[in-house]
Amino acid sequence: MERRSFLKGFGAVSVCAALVPSIVSAADEAKKVSGPNEMSVESALAAITGGKPVTLSSKVSLSAPEIAENGAVVPVKVSVESPMSAKDYVKAIHIFATKNNNVRCANVYLTPANGEASFGTRIKLGATQDVLAVAEMSNGTFLSAKQNVKVTIGGCG
Amino acid sequence: MKTLIKIKPKDYKVGDIVKVDFMAMHPMESGMRKDKDTGQVIPAHYINEVNFFFNDKVLTKMVTWESLSVNPVLSISMKVSGSGTLKVLAKDNKGDNVESSVAITPKG
Repeated sequence: MERRSFLKGFGAVSVCAALVPSIVSAADEAKKVSGPNEMSVESALAAITGGKPVTLSSKVSLSAPEIAENGAVVPVKVSVESPMSAKDYVKAIHIFATKNNNVRCANVYLTPANGEASFGTRIKLGATQDVLAVAEMSNGTFLSAKQNVKVTIGGCG
Repeated sequence: MKTLIKIKPKDYKVGDIVKVDFMAMHPMESGMRKDKDTGQVIPAHYINEVNFFFNDKVLTKMVTWESLSVNPVLSISMKVSGSGTLKVLAKDNKGDNVESSVAITPKG
């Protein structure tokens, strides 16, 4: 019996502890500074696609680490399956960090002279979030790939 | 802004696809960081445009934002169509323009 009541009491304490961080983070949200180019994923995507649907596709491969120890340098590589001929090529690759203040990282406009649709760089991630890669094909469709990256130390401060 | 262009691998033939790495020494300030001593916000300072040209024909155009890491590396592929010059023009939001180029000399 003693053990049971102890466990009940312990459970109540842990519930309280779980509530406290959410209050703190709400206060942090209010203090959040907005950068010069603040933009959300929805508006950034709409500006590129013009309302056209974006479909997840295995043709787009996005490689990023699952856990990034340092959010200031996160290597990201995108490659898109395409013949890169004059008629069928990847027009552009866009990279977004979905929870950064300005979600846009890079908009890369390719030409058939690239031979291969690939792009690699290193980005800053402020917190644990999804990295989204959108490929714009020459026939007007949009394909995408997504990966969650866990960030231990944020890269924007 | 100091820049560097690397072609990998070093030896290539006409028709090969090579990797082009463009590196720049740049602070890439996001405009959201505060100076620890004064408490003032450090103004945004980032590369916002990088354009690659091969023999004055557009190879790749990029619009970049402050989310890129400090001293960014941008890598793309290029199909070697012959010898010539690969030129890269980089621009930042404070108006700094840098032009760098590298000779493309395929073997065989």
